[in-house]
Amino acid sequence: MPAKIDYKKCIGCQTCYDICPIDVFTWDEETDMPKVAYEEECWHCGICWMECPKRAIDITFPASFW
Amino acid sequence: MSIEKIADKVIETDVLIIGGGIAGCPTAVKAADHGLKVTLVEKAKPERSGSAGQGIDHYGIFPREGVTKQELIRRWEAYQSLLNGEGRFGDPNLVYKYYDSAFWALEELESQGITMRWDDGEYYWMPHGRYGGADRIMLRVHWQNVKPEMAKAVRERDVDILERTMVVDLLTNNGSVVGATAVNTRTGEFIVIKAKATIVATGLFARCYNPETPLFWKYKFRYHWCPATVSGDGWGMAYRAGAELACMDITGWHFRARDDLTISYGNFNLNEGIAGKFLTWKGKEFGFPNAGRYAELEEKGNAPLYQTLQHLPDDYHKRMEVAYVDERLVSFKVAEDRRFNPKTHYFELMPNKPHNFMTAAGISIDEDCKASLKGLYSVGDCSAGWHSCGHAVVTGLIVGENVDTYVNMADEPVVDEAQVESQKLTALAPLSVKDGTEPMELECAIRYVCERYVGQFKSEGKLREGLRRLGSLRREFLPKLMAKNPHYLMRCLEVRNIMDLAEVYINACLERKETRGNHIRLDYPDRDPSRDSMLTYQRMEKGKPVLDIRPVPELKPENAKEGN
Repeated sequence: MPAKIDYKKCIGCQTCYDICPIDVFTWDEETDMPKVAYEEECWHCGICWMECPKRAIDITFPASFW
Repeated sequence: MSIEKIADKVIETDVLIIGGGIAGCPTAVKAADHGLKVTLVEKAKPERSGSAGQGIDHYGIFPREGVTKQELIRRWEAYQSLLNGEGRFGDPNLVYKYYDSAFWALEELESQGITMRWDDGEYYWMPHGRYGGADRIMLRVHWQNVKPEMAKAVRERDVDILERTMVVDLLTNNGSVVGATAVNTRTGEFIVIKAKATIVATGLFARCYNPETPLFWKYKFRYHWCPATVSGDGWGMAYRAGAELACMDITGWHFRARDDLTISYGNFNLNEGIAGKFLTWKGKEFGFPNAGRYAELEEKGNAPLYQTLQHLPDDYHKRMEVAYVDERLVSFKVAEDRRFNPKTHYFELMPNKPHNFMTAAGISIDEDCKASLKGLYSVGDCSAGWHSCGHAVVTGLIVGENVDTYVNMADEPVVDEAQVESQKLTALAPLSVKDGTEPMELECAIRYVCERYVGQFKSEGKLREGLRRLGSLRREFLPKLMAKNPHYLMRCLEVRNIMDLAEVYINACLERKETRGNHIRLDYPDRDPSRDSMLTYQRMEKGKPVLDIRPVPELKPENAKEGN
């Protein structure tokens, strides 16, 4: 999975949901937390990773990048 | 039925700006400062959207330190020829205007609250190695947060920002552009925007080719452009509305560094003015090659080809690190995860292919950035002739400064209901398709056509076969596109733009029956002198594609006078 949310650290501030240039995240109304809904569209730009105030997002690069 | 009944929302505005990137934001600020009602439509959110979303490390080229505008025009033309061969590939008067406005634009940016100076309060001028000059004519900027700063300037003004909204098509009336229709890609809301002036600022096009990493179902391109930016939305909508596109046969050619990922390792040295070393796998050094030279090296068994920075001194590597912070923070994570040291790494230069249209192509504009349709402007990477962040800012500011003159004399926009209805159908139809085609499946099919039948080494038979295959994809699959939710409506509309532009692209390549620079036709291996400095212009007229070949404008005498 490209962008991974650590829900133990996530405070539900909506930053990633707001700024993702591709709109990879959706908002889960039940948990009031972001969700990586369109992971196949993520291009690893790292904007959510750099903007997350709690460092709750990790980016995993695919094998063919190696 | 009235427009209000067809659309979920109708907006009336003086100026509609499509795209809130590094060109669209300064345009919006300037137009709002002139007292105009401004609506900014943005596919994501201006704080981090567009090519500059992750940040930028350098800005602009300035006529200073004895380097005249005329000398800069000569260097720009030399760079174009390095890639595209003999002749000229863009209006030099536009280039003149860009250099002539450079210092004015710098002041404007600072007045909009954009950080241009370093912590000590000074500008940092760095040498610009790319055009061969070592003059200090380019600004080194710490712009990791340039987009948040630009977005803040827009939000401080009374600008109506429609986020997560994608434009479907432009609205036209008697040959004038009178606004656009759009769809919110989270709610599916269909919006009509009536505007006196419409400014397209959506960036480049590249998605008719495979991404650089071998994951064909994914978005991944060279390090500069966000995939949402390079779907060619602005070019597609302008072309369908009848505006002219220029130079669609001229695709840029550059290296793709295999280990580059999202970042600029190995490319930044160009911006810092110090060259990295290019080596064959046997360690033999070679100079910066173009497409033909690269193919030659590969044919003779010299591949893989590498670029390395390891011979450079430590202070240089420290400067590079700051550049990564400014332009691609994620690059540190890439190097860490992959456990390579950028200082000593050999970056593989990947086989060539025409993967973008970054040297000359785009919406054809005049010196005021007006497109060939009344009421339509194009700023930034969307426009033909020049692509860079410096150019994006300058063209945006020029239009923002002058668009009020047009708005004040323009008629009230009158929108055709039938046109709105048909655009609504186009935009929303995929929501009701079941068992259809996913947009990424069709996008992959289009990319395959361009990879297989266009590519770097072209010939008439393959181009015609490509065109035929595109035609059958259009017939069979475009009507079957399906969207599970409004998010995928965005992808469906993108595929439609990619398909239209791939067709324009192949038509342009077919018509250029010669080999010139990186345009390589195996069936016409020689340069055709009658095509020297002749550009390809394409537009739609009454539903039919029209192709024109016209000369590049000459530099006007007043602009050519040294020192002017």
